[in-house]
Amino acid sequence: MEKDKDILKIGKYEFKSRLLIGTGKYPDFQTMKEAADVSGAEIITVAVRRIDFNAKENLLSYIDLDKYILLPNTAGCYTAEDAVNTLRLARELDVFRTDLVKLEVIGDQKTLYPDNEELLKAAKILVKEGFTVMPYMMDDPVLAKKLEDIGCPVVMPLASPIGSGLGIRNPYNIKIIKETVSVPIIVDAGVGTASDACKTMELGVDGILINTAIAGAANPVNMADAMKKAVEAGRLAYLSGRIPMKLYAQASTQMEGIVF
Amino acid sequence: MKIELNGNEYNIEQNGITIQKLIDELKLDIKSTAVAVNKTIVSKSSYAEFKLNENDKIDMVTIAPGG
Repeated sequence: MEKDKDILKIGKYEFKSRLLIGTGKYPDFQTMKEAADVSGAEIITVAVRRIDFNAKENLLSYIDLDKYILLPNTAGCYTAEDAVNTLRLARELDVFRTDLVKLEVIGDQKTLYPDNEELLKAAKILVKEGFTVMPYMMDDPVLAKKLEDIGCPVVMPLASPIGSGLGIRNPYNIKIIKETVSVPIIVDAGVGTASDACKTMELGVDGILINTAIAGAANPVNMADAMKKAVEAGRLAYLSGRIPMKLYAQASTQMEGIVF
Repeated sequence: MKIELNGNEYNIEQNGITIQKLIDELKLDIKSTAVAVNKTIVSKSSYAEFKLNENDKIDMVTIAPGG
């Protein structure tokens, strides 16, 4: 496949970049803006929150809406009802120019693991209401299939807990999800550094959503660059077809014509 | 008239002010503001007619940093 024809399709939308980034936890908005620019991301996630009337700065003034698609999340929602209402409210914001939404329904405060039951319930309602639902989910192939069946055009299994930086803890499940569903897979949460991103992409997933690993790095802008390159390298390696692993050596130099 | 705005008490001179006028008074950008009144989402198309009542609980939201 030619590199520039390698398009990520999510529902009716097409993207060249396979790196999606969040806007949380940056030291300041300017750093967030620079990191986003360097990352090459086309989708960036944001939350929907009460307006702080005393805020000195506004996140929106650092985001070029002609350049990025803003993806509203439902972070902090613990029930299907709250998540659905958050996204219905988001729909009234003109800054969201597509019907793409990141659905997360949290089930536990300590792990921030999603609540499967509530997630599925919310996804069903939102799909019916015309949203293009991108569900953050456990690395569970059975759930992935259910989400695909109800109309999610992408599934977003975690690599490890949100913000943990533990990297991909169960690559085998991600592989099984890949074999189970035909919609794209975006690994969301847990990537810690560039090698994690690269290894994840080498599994054949379609993209990665990263926030903390970039925003929390000592140099977020350079880490955004590293992640961009890692995602591209991992994707290209996957498409190129790696060699099988072997226990013993296999000489790369021919023996024919050897003198001594 | 007293309302609750984003969790805080807020006094408005005009009784029965519309959402649109309140947004103007607060100098908010309508494109990046969504409103719920007593936890019911109000469609943007009805901001100009939707009148607020005493003790209404108004939530005005916008985008915030998140992952």
